[in-house]
Amino acid sequence: MQLEIEAQRAAANLSLPMDELEQVATSAPSLIGAAQSLEELKAAETELLGKNSVIAQKRRGLGGLDPADRPTVGAKINEVFAAIQATLNDRKRQLEIIEENVLLVGDRVDVTVPHVRSRLGTQHILTTVMDEVSDIFVSLGYQVATGPEVETAWYNFDALNTPSSHPARAESDTLYVDFGDPADEMLLRTQTSPVQARYMQQHEPPVHVVVPGRVFRSDSLDATHSPVFHQVEGLVVDTDITFADLKGTLEYFARTFFGADRVIKLIPHFFPFTEPSAEMHVSCFVCDGSGCRVCSNSGWIELMGCGMVDPNVFEAVGYDPSKVSGFAFGMGVERLAMVRHGITHIKHFFENDLRVLGQFV
Amino acid sequence: MKVSLNWLSDYIDLPTSDPTELSDIFANLGHEVEGVEILEPQFRDVVIGKVLTVQPHPNADKVRLCSVDTGDGPTDIICGAWNFEAGATVPVAVPGAILGEDFLITQRDIRGVTSNGMICSAKELGLGEEADGIMVLAEDLPIGTPFVDHIELPDVVFDLAITPNRPDAMSMVGLARELAAHFEITYRVPSPVLGDTTGEMDLRVDIEDDRCRRFVAREVRGVEVRPAPTWMSQRLVKAGVRSISNIVDVSNYVMLELGQPTHAFDRDKVADGHIVVRAATEGETLVTLDGTERQLTPEDLLVADIEQASSLAGTMGGLESEVSDSTTNVLIECASWDPPTVMRMSRRHGLRSEASARFERGVDPNLPPLAADRMAEMIAAHAGGSIVGGMVDNYPEPVEPQVLSLAISEVHRILGIHLSRAEVAGLLARLNFAVSPGGRGDDDIEVAVPTNRPDVTRPIDLIEEVARLHGFDNFPSRVPTGGNGGLSAEQLRLRTLRWVARGAGFSEAHTSTFSGHADLAMLALPADDYRSRTIEVKNPLRDEESIMRTTLIPGLLGSARFNIAHGADSVALFETGKVFFNQESPELGTVPDQPDVFSFVAVGSMGPGDVAEGGRPVDVFAGMALWRSIVDQMGLGSYEIQQAEIPGLHPGRGALIVLEGGPIGHIGELHPAVARAFDLDGRVLVGELDLNPLVADPGIWSFAEPSVFPSSEFDLSFDVATTTPAAALAAEASKAGGELVESVEVFDEFLRGDSKAVGLRVRIRASDRTLTADDVADVRTKVTGAVTASTGANLRGA
Repeated sequence: MQLEIEAQRAAANLSLPMDELEQVATSAPSLIGAAQSLEELKAAETELLGKNSVIAQKRRGLGGLDPADRPTVGAKINEVFAAIQATLNDRKRQLEIIEENVLLVGDRVDVTVPHVRSRLGTQHILTTVMDEVSDIFVSLGYQVATGPEVETAWYNFDALNTPSSHPARAESDTLYVDFGDPADEMLLRTQTSPVQARYMQQHEPPVHVVVPGRVFRSDSLDATHSPVFHQVEGLVVDTDITFADLKGTLEYFARTFFGADRVIKLIPHFFPFTEPSAEMHVSCFVCDGSGCRVCSNSGWIELMGCGMVDPNVFEAVGYDPSKVSGFAFGMGVERLAMVRHGITHIKHFFENDLRVLGQFV
Repeated sequence: MKVSLNWLSDYIDLPTSDPTELSDIFANLGHEVEGVEILEPQFRDVVIGKVLTVQPHPNADKVRLCSVDTGDGPTDIICGAWNFEAGATVPVAVPGAILGEDFLITQRDIRGVTSNGMICSAKELGLGEEADGIMVLAEDLPIGTPFVDHIELPDVVFDLAITPNRPDAMSMVGLARELAAHFEITYRVPSPVLGDTTGEMDLRVDIEDDRCRRFVAREVRGVEVRPAPTWMSQRLVKAGVRSISNIVDVSNYVMLELGQPTHAFDRDKVADGHIVVRAATEGETLVTLDGTERQLTPEDLLVADIEQASSLAGTMGGLESEVSDSTTNVLIECASWDPPTVMRMSRRHGLRSEASARFERGVDPNLPPLAADRMAEMIAAHAGGSIVGGMVDNYPEPVEPQVLSLAISEVHRILGIHLSRAEVAGLLARLNFAVSPGGRGDDDIEVAVPTNRPDVTRPIDLIEEVARLHGFDNFPSRVPTGGNGGLSAEQLRLRTLRWVARGAGFSEAHTSTFSGHADLAMLALPADDYRSRTIEVKNPLRDEESIMRTTLIPGLLGSARFNIAHGADSVALFETGKVFFNQESPELGTVPDQPDVFSFVAVGSMGPGDVAEGGRPVDVFAGMALWRSIVDQMGLGSYEIQQAEIPGLHPGRGALIVLEGGPIGHIGELHPAVARAFDLDGRVLVGELDLNPLVADPGIWSFAEPSVFPSSEFDLSFDVATTTPAAALAAEASKAGGELVESVEVFDEFLRGDSKAVGLRVRIRASDRTLTADDVADVRTKVTGAVTASTGANLRGA
């Protein structure tokens, strides 16, 4: 009896523990894999590795084994333990992902709903065009100058070779203000050109300058006229500036502003402050010259007036016309914007309708 | 100027009649083509007829029965027009004729009488708008010939915009001269043949005013006033001039042909045969051709007889001395007037005419004799009568061609093309400029400028002519570049300012520079407010635009109102622009103070919102948020917000913004009464700041080494009077805490009865060491002491 017990103990301690461990190791993966939540996985872990688990029992029984067997059995226990632990960890990571995915599904929102609106303002199209035109000339090395809007008749007319008898000076064309000495004939500048005169008085040649700004005429409002509008003026003066420089510069501008395929033509015209004078036309950027509504079927769009600075202007500002020469040009900003963007009425520039402002940024 | 190609062809044999080609040529000569009309006859089988008899229609009152010879003997035609009698020469659409597209003329029974065709009005023939009566033609047209042969159709009419410097191009001959220069061909100037004359002129002309440069007169006696020949009246119609009578039509015809306006008087109405050219006297009046009585001033120049004024010089004739149906003796005036005088007269009296348009530009003073002869020749030809011998020519200071010296090197210096002396001379010679070698050097030429070109007075004007005839298309292109360009710091910072304002939710606006007194009244500004120092526009277009703006706010509020009226819930706008201030006795030649300002308005709500709410309701803090963004983004440094009562603003919700140099403007909510005046509901944010201090060049940013040591932070809560600004506590704390203080923020504010609680969060840090407990305690004590002492605040919980 004693012997039998001894034999049983021996078998339990040596052969049986190995079998049971093997059995646990084999069955553990399916037990672990069956866990569908971290909670079930915890239960499986307790069953496999808890203090009542086979592995814990075997570990506790290790001391009762034949010392010769202990390393073998001990190693087996550790091996099975590690394998189960690894399987548990794998399953845990899987279950964590699954459970987070469930949470994310519940966290879904309709991203098309504008829950947060950050409302920014827009830049006015006139500013955009004036900056854009200025920048084209800045890229050619021009400076940008500005000047007073209430101006003396001397700067607006006399300095620009427009004598006192000239019809443009009549009250039907020019708005005058009541300020200071009547001899000054203080007026609202009818063009940005007086800034040319002021700039030349203050700077020695060479001059490369562009002048954006607001100008005024005694015009009633209609689709293309407003008593208040904007111009950009350009002036270049140096010792060797010719009509060819004017032509090349305006070509460069037209191609930069309206597209590389544009061509220009200069038509002789008359302005008091330039001689020779010309009107610059650019081939229509909509129809490429074949004729359309934008260009009134002519294929050409009249864009600006220009010419070689009249010697009288140089004399008025203290330059020697026998030593320097120059060209000047001036364009209407509203017209540029209307032509390029298809804007139908000049009022749209001054009503500040948000539905219009929002179309240009 | 409207130019009939058929008429023009009297003076030049053009190598092309292609309208597009000719348009381009006119444009490249500097005569802009504003329109081209292709005229085709709008009828077929209309012939010349002679009305033999006119009788009442037996069965109708409103039409008459006419017997008309259309080349095949008398035939009956019923006509509803009453402007003719037996003997009239008329255009007749015979049966089978077609008017317009498809109106077929047939024999028709009209109230029991057969009508064999139709006598036509100008409108029915597509020759004008005249529809009241039929066309009565010149008597000498051969009966039965096709009407179309006498009206020069088809034709092309160019509508040219002649620039104000070119009086010479305001005529058929002048344009023929231009085209001849272009094509390098000849052109023809009429040379009148007067034939036998009768007697000698007995007319005295005194020029008492030097604004008359020349006065030429001729006389034709025994004329008969009747319709002008059809070809002539049709040429005038194509030129946009109404046909009146043979005398008036010849006058207009010669003006259009030669460019010299002329005037025809009834010779028998010139008292004593004595004409005086003089200034009007104050209070003098003249009834002009249009029946208007004109009040005259000494600025007006008159042609008068010794009794009374006859016409406004170069502008419009008088009714009294006008040629009438009973006139038999015609006095022809061809004069030369001072251009500015005519311009001012025509403007003062609102009389812009074909004549004044030419005199304003300056008619060649050597043209009147030719024009007078031409007119006499044509009157004699088309109104009968005989030309009186002699011509009165009062020409105090004859004008000779001006001789200019031109250096060929100048042509290259200005135009950038190399032309030889021969080439330059050749181009100028094409315009009848007489070119000869001369001047200072081999390089020079001397050019005699014809007196019909008052625009050419300097070498540069000759260079312009050279460029024009050389052709602008034939110039090379070159792009000069400057060496010292770029935007200034201020210009770049202005762009940044706009960017910041847009980022804060404000859209850029452009409002009118004009304002009205009503706008300022709505703002409720006191009379001594700086914005009441307005500058008046002398000749405003409308009352609402009678002053220069002193603030952008009314304009922006108007735009806000516009948007609300068009359905917007919220509006936030800003603008940068000039305002204008009047001043007492400024120095001569100085323009008014016209600084730029940065202004903004907002109504409704602003800032990030969600589905339910469109953002935070607008109030003064939205403006302060914009201000702080500007300070941060533009690096403005220290500033002060001062609670203040500002005219037009809510008394408790307005602030002065103060930079180191002083106040630069204000931000606040409109006073509710002001908002109502502008028809705006709810709180309305407004702000207006001087632009210059915002965009002034700050120089180069200097670097401050960030401390590597940790900071410490503590909160203090004070009880203080509601009128004490939280900013005052923060400023005091910042000052008292010394150099260890890194920042002081107001983190909390709420009202508690008569006082309010203000929470300050003080962050301190040393640049060279870790703070100790003593440091913190020391700063805390100093801050608490200083704030309580200076603001009367009590530390809460102490």
